[in-house]
Amino acid sequence: MGTVGLALPWQSRISAVQRQRETRVEPSQHLAGSDGEAAASPGGDDAALAAACLAGDLSAYERLYAAHGARMKNLARNLLGTPVDAEDAVQETFLKIQRRIASFRSQSSFSTWVFRILINTCYDARRSRLRKKEHSIEADESEPAMPEPRAPGGHPTLRMALERAVAALTKHQRDVFLLYEVEGFHHAEIASMLEISETASKNTLFQAKRNLRQLLEPPRGPAAGLR
Amino acid sequence: MNAMNRTCKDRDRIFEDGSAAEWAALEVHAASCAECAGEIRAWRAISAAAQEMRDYEANPALWARIASALAVQQQEKTRRGKWIWNWLRSLQVLPLTLQTAAAAALVLLLTVSAGLLYRYERGPATAADSHFLKSRALADVQRTESAYVQAIEKLAAETKPQLDQPDTPLLASYKEKLQVLDSAIDDLRTQADMNPSNAHLRYQLLAMYQEKQQTLEEVLEMKQ
Repeated sequence: MGTVGLALPWQSRISAVQRQRETRVEPSQHLAGSDGEAAASPGGDDAALAAACLAGDLSAYERLYAAHGARMKNLARNLLGTPVDAEDAVQETFLKIQRRIASFRSQSSFSTWVFRILINTCYDARRSRLRKKEHSIEADESEPAMPEPRAPGGHPTLRMALERAVAALTKHQRDVFLLYEVEGFHHAEIASMLEISETASKNTLFQAKRNLRQLLEPPRGPAAGLR
Repeated sequence: MNAMNRTCKDRDRIFEDGSAAEWAALEVHAASCAECAGEIRAWRAISAAAQEMRDYEANPALWARIASALAVQQQEKTRRGKWIWNWLRSLQVLPLTLQTAAAAALVLLLTVSAGLLYRYERGPATAADSHFLKSRALADVQRTESAYVQAIEKLAAETKPQLDQPDTPLLASYKEKLQVLDSAIDDLRTQADMNPSNAHLRYQLLAMYQEKQQTLEEVLEMKQ
């Protein structure tokens, strides 16, 4: 494929990552470099980790945190908007895992189950925050929750534009986009987490990306034509 | 036309659910189609931009916080689970007589609980049932009262010759007293018929019958 110039205004500020279909990052795989031995591999390790958590082994929870904690916090931050809320959600998720581990039936992978709890926890937190806002005089209900600025690095303008656009998506579109494009989950895993079909996951991602493209494209007008 | 040849029309479907081979075929097509090339780049640009939303910067304090909360929750869970066991163990330090008494109390408690459970399983008495019980109790009262009245009437029949022709002032007084009592009994019975479940009226009626019985007995004693 030739290197034709990108149509979107933010194209020049991003690295030209060639996203290969069907070669998705396995859960935790992209963390292996940073957390080395702690990263749990899918399959047997996942089941072993679940068994250790069920046995009440606190070090198993530490391994779970090492394997998925950063990604959990990142997903929570993208869903809730602030690092503080994200950390609270991750902590609450771990407590829920400890309380509900006996109900884990291995019908899905342990990590999928964990992320399902996290997503539900984030939405509980969002609802709770909305209720609080409704009682607050200063609350502006029409304004969607926007993520707080992150630490310097990367492309802040692009990131902010994208975060704003992602916040404007529907709940399902946002969930699928974040899980697939940001966190690198497969559609099968997303389907299990969100309790939808794989086809629905693929279709929702398609709709999300199409909407994002529209949201991120500059307004077309006479000024644009003069440039 | 090769099966893997792709056109602009296939683009959205491949974006949504295309295989690696279909993507490769679309890229081949895009080499000669500026529109598809632009669409593919824009599509991939979104995926690339999504990487900007990744921030895996660790907060070392977070795990410490979570570990502490997990430990507290586990301790709480363990403490709750051990509560009954500890209570049973504490019974061992009691003297044998107290242990026996505790065991007996436990047996009694279980028996009562089983009885209550049995009654609960049978279900609470329905409105119809309670009505039936009330009616049955009332019928018992009325039957007993009727038997009592018949017995008093037999007694009255025995005293009738003396009272019809009272030959002493005392008998005349007893006759008047019995007339007053009969009048009061008639009034109470009328009220009781109108309000059959009024227990107070029933007690008053009973008191009147007892008074009449006693008076008749006194008349009979005079005869003897």
